[in-house]
Amino acid sequence: MAKVEKRILNRVEGEVELKLVWEKGRIKDAFIIAPNFRGFEFILENKPLLDALVITPRVCGICGHAHLIATTNALENLYRENGYEIEVSQKAQLIRNITLSCEIIQNHIRWFYLFVIPDFLKFNTDLKDFYPIKGEKWRKAVYYSSKIVKIIAIFGGQWPHTSYSIPGGVMCEPTQMELMEAISIVDNVLEYFENDVIGMNIDDYFSIKFLEEFLEKSKGDLKKIIEEAIKLGFSDIGKAYDRFLTVCNVSPFISQGVTRRKKCNFDVSKVEEIETFSFLENGKSKFSKGKYSWAKAPRYEGKPFETGPLARRINNEDELFINLTKNFKGYYIPRIWARVDEIGKILVAIKKYLLNINLNEPSYIKPKVDIKNLEGQAYGFCEAARGSLIHKVIAKEGKIEKYDIITPTVWNLGTRCKNYLSPAEKAIIGLSDKLKAEMVVRSFDVCSVCTTH
Amino acid sequence: MKTLLWLQGLTCNGNTQSLLNAENPYIYEIFSKINLLYHPSLSIENNLNEIIDKILDKEIKLDFLIVEGAITKNKNFCKIGNYSISDLVNKLKDKAEYIIAVGNCAVHGNLPAVYRENKDICGLQFKFEEKKGLLPSDFKTKSGYPVINITGCPIHPAWFTQVLMALYYDRKISLDKFNRPKEIFMYLPHDGCTRNEYFEWKTEAEEFGHKEGCLFYNLGCRGPMTHAPCNKILWNRISSKTRAGMPCIGCTEFNFPVRENFFDTKKNMGIPEDIPLGVSKRAYIMISGVAKTLKNERVSKKLEDTE
Repeated sequence: MAKVEKRILNRVEGEVELKLVWEKGRIKDAFIIAPNFRGFEFILENKPLLDALVITPRVCGICGHAHLIATTNALENLYRENGYEIEVSQKAQLIRNITLSCEIIQNHIRWFYLFVIPDFLKFNTDLKDFYPIKGEKWRKAVYYSSKIVKIIAIFGGQWPHTSYSIPGGVMCEPTQMELMEAISIVDNVLEYFENDVIGMNIDDYFSIKFLEEFLEKSKGDLKKIIEEAIKLGFSDIGKAYDRFLTVCNVSPFISQGVTRRKKCNFDVSKVEEIETFSFLENGKSKFSKGKYSWAKAPRYEGKPFETGPLARRINNEDELFINLTKNFKGYYIPRIWARVDEIGKILVAIKKYLLNINLNEPSYIKPKVDIKNLEGQAYGFCEAARGSLIHKVIAKEGKIEKYDIITPTVWNLGTRCKNYLSPAEKAIIGLSDKLKAEMVVRSFDVCSVCTTH
Repeated sequence: MKTLLWLQGLTCNGNTQSLLNAENPYIYEIFSKINLLYHPSLSIENNLNEIIDKILDKEIKLDFLIVEGAITKNKNFCKIGNYSISDLVNKLKDKAEYIIAVGNCAVHGNLPAVYRENKDICGLQFKFEEKKGLLPSDFKTKSGYPVINITGCPIHPAWFTQVLMALYYDRKISLDKFNRPKEIFMYLPHDGCTRNEYFEWKTEAEEFGHKEGCLFYNLGCRGPMTHAPCNKILWNRISSKTRAGMPCIGCTEFNFPVRENFFDTKKNMGIPEDIPLGVSKRAYIMISGVAKTLKNERVSKKLEDTE
């Protein structure tokens, strides 16, 4: 007889509940339940269009900046959909890239050290440096993740929850001296990344193409955790569907695309949101039988897709990660590695962005037409810490008629549809250990506040 | 060792994330002094129910109960295990020495309280301006304080950590009419703003993207009407929104989520509808007129071009 067990999953952003159905000692079915709902899409209705810049970042305290950028992109695209040119200087674009990148680094450091590694402490007490609050490694992670967001404060005034990006550019006008301060922060965090996280020079790290080579050369925390994970039997677990989605290009290390066996271009018209198992149906709450979470089920061409750093590596045809997906039958380890790997790639990119800013360009070019005159619909895309973020705005008489947000976590951790489980649900089917099941779910970087918003 | 328990209702986690940025003291320094019983994002073990039972059985003494996020009784919209956030607060409210609400959601209900389908969303002791929160208006914790409110969307970590440390060292703190610590919320973002010179001489920014110009007259800045020390205790210890160029949006006030057009100053016949705190409309008009007739060379140029 199947036995049903409910567990709260803590140490994620917000809380989710796991409902596991056990049979013969294995997980036969799994439900990921996001039980909290605030109704942001409805709060946005009838608000002036620009107010979305203030409201959407408040969907999430850890990736709110990504929501700001997605809203900015949606509103700029709304101008274009209405037939108006909108000019954004390269300087403004670089500054947006920099602040968004800093938020992602902050997220990845906190996720790895505060959310993922503590699970390993339950197996092995040799990792006492990583112990929450007391451990030196935990403390460093807090220190450097807080340090990197100082750059967002330099340009945007604060993190979390600035709204300094606006259609037409950014609100700040930094001086050269502020750029120098930002560069010194990047250098400092990069040094930490080399010394502690990967335990090797970053250029040497980027030249690595194989697992064995990394394990041989690295002396860092990432290596320690990968070796632990291999020892504990994580090599074979955590695979979802082998289908990966990325919606934006961030040159040179992120390329949009949809990969299942082969890679195609992303086309937003192929995205749909299924509400069969969600408490939210047609904009109303509904608690009928079978419904189990506030999350919906986004599908691309009817199929579930995994999004996030691993998807970005696969869609970027990164040799190391293509090899890793061959090394490991399950994707728990590649998923963790991809997130940590991205910290290095982004740090190097931020420094280039900072050095490429031409301070003589304008920060903001006022759109020629008042936003109150815009109608119709537009999309805004963004690659956030956890993966692809899609905003869709429908405007009427200068106000928001409807606003739709598809977060990365709803791709990964949303509800099932008639034919498919969500990627994270699929990834824990067949496991015999509930701690390992929780760890696989955490490998997707759970954010329940984003999943339901 | 004193103890602290952190609960979350309807939240974006922004206050927790902001707290992780704390300096002097850093979060790990706080929790070397105070025993963190449970925090949903930081604790290794998922043993909240066990801890609550021990508090109720008086096995553990609870000093600080911290609540982040808006409150609702409706378990369909917010659930922690089998409980609603209001169940948990009600269980613990008479056990804690102090209850601290962190962030506008826990204090006033904030954005979640605007959602039309769940009408019972509120803060711990307030709903927006009114004392109609979960706990009665005359509620006091064992220490004699009402719920101590740290507003902000999100809080600045120092606003919370400094108050927490004051209480830890058994110091007295005074509260304002929204039960916010006076020494934090007696300042306005206007105090210490690098654009103050432009405010004095009524040199108004016409558009975004400049380090010069005051953001109050055209761009919606709430700096002179909001209680928060954003330009005294800098954000991330490095800057603030108004210093960078973003208008203050008044996120420490009860009416933050019901206001609209954040980047536009509402005016009647050229006079801002809301004028700086403590100033009469007549005084504002007079002093503006005088400032405008007298010219300050410095504030009429880009900073690079000044003497």
